[in-house]
Amino acid sequence: MIEVEDLVVRLPGFTLEVPHLEVGEGEYLVVLGPSGVGKTLLLHAIAGLVAPARGRIVIGRRDVTREPPERRGVALVPQDYALFPHMSVLDNIAYGLRVRGIPRWEAYGRARAYAEALGIAHLLHRRPGSLSGGEKQRVALARALAVEPRILLLDEPLASLDPQARARGRGLLREIHESRGVTVVHVSHNIVDAATLATRVAYMNGGRLECTCTTRGFLESPYAEPYLEELRPLAGLLGGR
Amino acid sequence: MAAAARGLVERGLLLFSALASFFVLLLVLPLVALYAGVKPGVLGAMLSSPEMREEILGGFRVALLASLIAVGILLALGVPTAYVLARYDFPGKRVVEGVIDIPLALPHVVAGVMLLEAYGSWGLAGPLLRRVGLVIEDHLAGVVAVMAFVSAPLLVDTVKVGFQSIPESLSAVARTLGASRLRAFRDIELPLAARSIAAGSLLAWARGLSEVGALLVVAYYPKTVNILILEYLSIYGLPYAVTLAAVYATLTLGIFAALRVVTRS
Repeated sequence: MIEVEDLVVRLPGFTLEVPHLEVGEGEYLVVLGPSGVGKTLLLHAIAGLVAPARGRIVIGRRDVTREPPERRGVALVPQDYALFPHMSVLDNIAYGLRVRGIPRWEAYGRARAYAEALGIAHLLHRRPGSLSGGEKQRVALARALAVEPRILLLDEPLASLDPQARARGRGLLREIHESRGVTVVHVSHNIVDAATLATRVAYMNGGRLECTCTTRGFLESPYAEPYLEELRPLAGLLGGR
Repeated sequence: MAAAARGLVERGLLLFSALASFFVLLLVLPLVALYAGVKPGVLGAMLSSPEMREEILGGFRVALLASLIAVGILLALGVPTAYVLARYDFPGKRVVEGVIDIPLALPHVVAGVMLLEAYGSWGLAGPLLRRVGLVIEDHLAGVVAVMAFVSAPLLVDTVKVGFQSIPESLSAVARTLGASRLRAFRDIELPLAARSIAAGSLLAWARGLSEVGALLVVAYYPKTVNILILEYLSIYGLPYAVTLAAVYATLTLGIFAALRVVTRS
């Protein structure tokens, strides 16, 4: 589904290097690593929001390295959810459909269906500023899913939630992945996300992709060592999926 | 101890409040004095003289028309400039920002001389402008050029801050949802910057209306109200200048207040 080959992205004072990364169709890849190692930049490169200095990005057998974000078939949910503050929840969810030229009544109908599926139908006429963190997360997911993307790019979607909302959020992400079969690349610095959601894990450090392996393989690797303390209370969940 | 500290803070606040009140009084006093100085007899004399009435109405027309055209030009050129400065880093960006702020740092008469040397009939770009029929000396185009030049930094800087305050993740998401760069700008960034654009336009418009120094150098004619106030001061004396200034202040403050209400709502 996604193939990243010999990718180099240069920003002032930072270089991202991804020698090779493959994400299969329907996979749930969690990209782990400490803060500031380039995880978000990797997502932005896949989304087409930054231009690589070198390398190739293939999505669904099509080389999209030079394609703009709107032609890549990906949907991004950033860490701050980036809900459009001047639009209602309904307009937020319908935005991608309206941009595609779908008539308003049809776009709204489909947006309502996604809102119901994610349990936010009662929020449709609210503005994002009045929503809780968990509600914002659901709206952002509904908006991303409404355009039926081939790939869902999630940037720390659970980071700003309290522990209960985070657990519910994980359940929601798992349900979305299982029911819709969408390919997910989920950036996180939380090992629990990897242990409970991932079908595979990628580990990044110092601007470089260090390894990709199965969840169990990762948990048994030396890369997981710094996280073992966090995982002890969740021993039953180890191995993820 | 805590009570003592609280008392100190409260005394400090009291001092600040007293200073703020004094400052506001200093700012309001000239306006009050202006209206207090209006002599009804002088206003009557001005309105009953057809020549003077025509001259004053012409001055208002020129000032309002030129300042609105100047704001229109600044919106067309300044908003894209502000966007580029807010969103992109490029070599020499600081220099460009400095160049845009030049009119803020210049004495107004110097700005007028510069405009004359650049865009006047015998200035650097004069021959080119003459070829397309644009002459700035003593023409409406000159009044517009002066107003646009002196107020450009106010619009660009205000709008730039407005764009900078919009998280880039909003347009990034819009683009992954299928919007082109232009569509994301139109749907997301432009509406969110609307308040800053309105504020910048208001500031630029007010700055344009208040200009007189550069106008004296570039375009004494057609006379704006400011030029007339100066002229009346030297020809007819202070009461005439005060009366015309009070009428002008009422008009501009009225429009300014109305626009502020509209842009806030």
